[in-house]
Amino acid sequence: MAHNSDDGDYSWDDDSELEEEEEEEEEEPRRSRRRSNSDSAGRRGKKRKPSGSIFIDSEVAVDDDDEESEDDEQEDGFIEHAAEEVDHRQFNNEQFRPHVNDEDDLEQFDNQYFQERYSRLYNANEYDNEHEELTDVDQQALLPSVRDPKLWMVKCAIGREREVAVCLMQKVIDRGSDFKIRSVIALDHLQNYIYVEADMEAHVKEVIKGMRYIFANHKILLVPIKEMADVLSVKSKTIDLSRDTWVRMKLGIYKGDLAQVVDVDNVRRRVTVKLIPRIDLQVLANKLEGREIVKKQAFVPPPRFMNVEEARELHIRVEHRRDRMTGDYFENIGGMLFKEGFLYKKVSTKSIAAQNVTPTFDELERFKKPSENGEIDFVDLSTLFANRKKGHFMKGDEVIVIKGDLKNMKGLVEKVDEETVLIRSELKGLHYPLAVNERELCKYFEPGNHVKVVSGTHEGATGMVVKVDQHVLIILSDTTKEHIRVFADHVVRSTEMSNGVTKMGDYELHDLVLLSNLSFGVIIKLDSEAIQVLKGVPERPEVSIVKHGEIKCKIEKKINVQDRYKNVITVKDVARVIEGPSKGKQGPVVQIYKGVLFIHDRHSVEHTGFICAKCQSCVLDDSLSRFGNFKTPALVPPSPRRFQRADLGYNSGAGGRHWGGRGGRGNDLLVGAYVKVRVGPFKGYRGRLVEVKDKTVRLEHEAKIVTVNRDAISVATDNVATPSQYNMGSQTPMHPSRTPLHSCMTPMRDSGATPIHDGMRTPMRDRAWNPYTPMSPPRDNWEDGNPRSWGTSLQYQ
Amino acid sequence: MGSAPAQIPTSFGHELRACLRCRLVKTYDQFRDAGCENCPFFKMEEDHERIVEVTTPNFNGIISVMDPSRSWAARWLRIGKFAPGCYTLAVSEPLPEEMQHLCQEERVQYMPPKRM
Repeated sequence: MAHNSDDGDYSWDDDSELEEEEEEEEEEPRRSRRRSNSDSAGRRGKKRKPSGSIFIDSEVAVDDDDEESEDDEQEDGFIEHAAEEVDHRQFNNEQFRPHVNDEDDLEQFDNQYFQERYSRLYNANEYDNEHEELTDVDQQALLPSVRDPKLWMVKCAIGREREVAVCLMQKVIDRGSDFKIRSVIALDHLQNYIYVEADMEAHVKEVIKGMRYIFANHKILLVPIKEMADVLSVKSKTIDLSRDTWVRMKLGIYKGDLAQVVDVDNVRRRVTVKLIPRIDLQVLANKLEGREIVKKQAFVPPPRFMNVEEARELHIRVEHRRDRMTGDYFENIGGMLFKEGFLYKKVSTKSIAAQNVTPTFDELERFKKPSENGEIDFVDLSTLFANRKKGHFMKGDEVIVIKGDLKNMKGLVEKVDEETVLIRSELKGLHYPLAVNERELCKYFEPGNHVKVVSGTHEGATGMVVKVDQHVLIILSDTTKEHIRVFADHVVRSTEMSNGVTKMGDYELHDLVLLSNLSFGVIIKLDSEAIQVLKGVPERPEVSIVKHGEIKCKIEKKINVQDRYKNVITVKDVARVIEGPSKGKQGPVVQIYKGVLFIHDRHSVEHTGFICAKCQSCVLDDSLSRFGNFKTPALVPPSPRRFQRADLGYNSGAGGRHWGGRGGRGNDLLVGAYVKVRVGPFKGYRGRLVEVKDKTVRLEHEAKIVTVNRDAISVATDNVATPSQYNMGSQTPMHPSRTPLHSCMTPMRDSGATPIHDGMRTPMRDRAWNPYTPMSPPRDNWEDGNPRSWGTSLQYQ
Repeated sequence: MGSAPAQIPTSFGHELRACLRCRLVKTYDQFRDAGCENCPFFKMEEDHERIVEVTTPNFNGIISVMDPSRSWAARWLRIGKFAPGCYTLAVSEPLPEEMQHLCQEERVQYMPPKRM
């Protein structure tokens, strides 16, 4: 028997079965390879890869032709060596030769072959372990082919899926071969549908006729071949619940509450969980005493730790009991078990959700409370992390090992490969990267790093890390200047500075909104969950946190008011508060409504710097030259002016705000500006300023020059001074990109039209200020420059 | 259809149990009366205690197999060789050690449930 080979060949007769199996496994890929390589489909030996050849180890290198002949020889060898085996091999061979010759579907061939083969194996009573080895390869081979029956989806009544499956079974058994379906599948997690395995839709229709709970009129859907295997795959959702796992209650008054697993009883599918009780002691007391209580409908008591003393006061019986199993002492109140303030409840496994449970900080904090036990924190968090889905380690991340022998070792991520992360450590002696399971790692940050939060409640916030505490980072937010606590996993290093979330739904930061209870306020902070609104209550700062739905609408009205000294204030003016709780603060006015001004004081820390004040308590601030750093475009002399409503000329002082860097009352600024006279005998005249004096200015009006009171004029933004508009823009106090506030826009107001064109304002708000956007509309006639045209033309891209 | 069909479960409540080896689904009472058609060696009809050992009420999904030899689904689930009846797609726990040995002795195949 020295065929071509190796010694090991014929040892098969000893452990024949075993070897056979193993080698057959290898066979598969080889077989298919060879098959694909083969030229002639008809060459039997090749296709079939008769079992004989498997016993030759060095097959891979062997030539095809040789193979064939060897095969035959091998087979003979077989026959000599193992009678019973050979019989069955021979049988196989014979069976399959004809098939091979046909141009059959290879897959079908596969299937059949394996079926036959394994059926024989079954019959031959193979041992279990061998089958284990074959499993994976096997499963591949069992994928459905075009010749297999198809799966059809049939709609049925909800909750009746199992019943329908069993009834169909009964029906088919009773009627024998009338029905040609092969099986019916009812999945636990798919409601309303069952699958019927049959060759044709007609067969399905036939069998479901007259079945209760099946919607026969409903379309029967065919499951694509590629999805068939998925139908039958069951993702075992049983997260093996273990102690200290965090779960959420699904039912009852504790629905949605965080709970911790204390004990698991798999046999009866029940777990004992620890919850923060929501007990209304009064109600309980009444109940125990037999008094009738008027129960408030749908009243869920807030979560509160059970206070035994309180209970006693209300004459509720408190029993100290010892639990048989754990040996702990419990207080038994009204049939419920309490310990250390927590309620211990036995619930069925079905009523808790164990997946994707991420306790928020607050919840964890609350759980810590009564025990005052520092350890709990870490324990909690580590169990937390055990179950969480992580997986955003990227190359270059700094990480720290939190579990295992390498705990507290820092490193840099080199490569991420599904669950394993390759990290390189700085430590001496460790030259090569280490492979660590991603569950054992956590991102590491140092205080001082600038980071951005990418998931969780604070998503979108950026800030600087000020403290690192195991998994938790404390970050100083760029926008709100508050400390926020986040999990290290939710954060990435970034140099991005955000303005905070500026737009959520329909509302943008700093919008004036009307709340559902008819109060109004300015949005000072937008969050994924809620919106903070500073209410229009001047006496004291009042912030309410509302949800989206509670905001009725945005208030678009642009109003001007007068300050204490009867100066007209509009949005964007700088005002200073001279009385009241916010006295001394000053800043640009962001919104005005009902006589209340909302001012943004950069220096003020609370409520992101917003102040609410009565317009009477403020004074317009003209002497502020805030544009030290402001670059005005070289070109333009005429200082932009604002339109002002009717009467009040504005004090030239008021213009100070608009005049960048020119220091307040730059007289020069006025010269050359095109103005319109508002009051006085020359009302209506338009002209260019030629000279400016303290109180008066001289206008060159078309044909003649007139002198008018300074007060009487209001400057028209004019067509000529196109760039001036942009100057205006530029002059707006804007802190480079940090302030989400008004960007460069000075509202151009048409005298006739009250509303400031939002069109103009809005786009500019977001942009870095760009004085040269060459879009000035040359307007011939500012008067009728209808708002619309302005609006559109000044749209920045 | 080939072999005689196994008993069909008579109710759908908590009594339903699945045999851990062949995944046949019946009620406790049915197992007690007739044992498991695919695993007669467990002798459930004689030893009632055994029923609790070798069957479980925790299973996922039901498949009624009318014609195992010609059903792709049955083949995929490796129940193609069993009697027609109602089976489950997956059971929650493996057969106890002792029972596994029994299977080996009887030379029957047993595949523990996959843990995903």
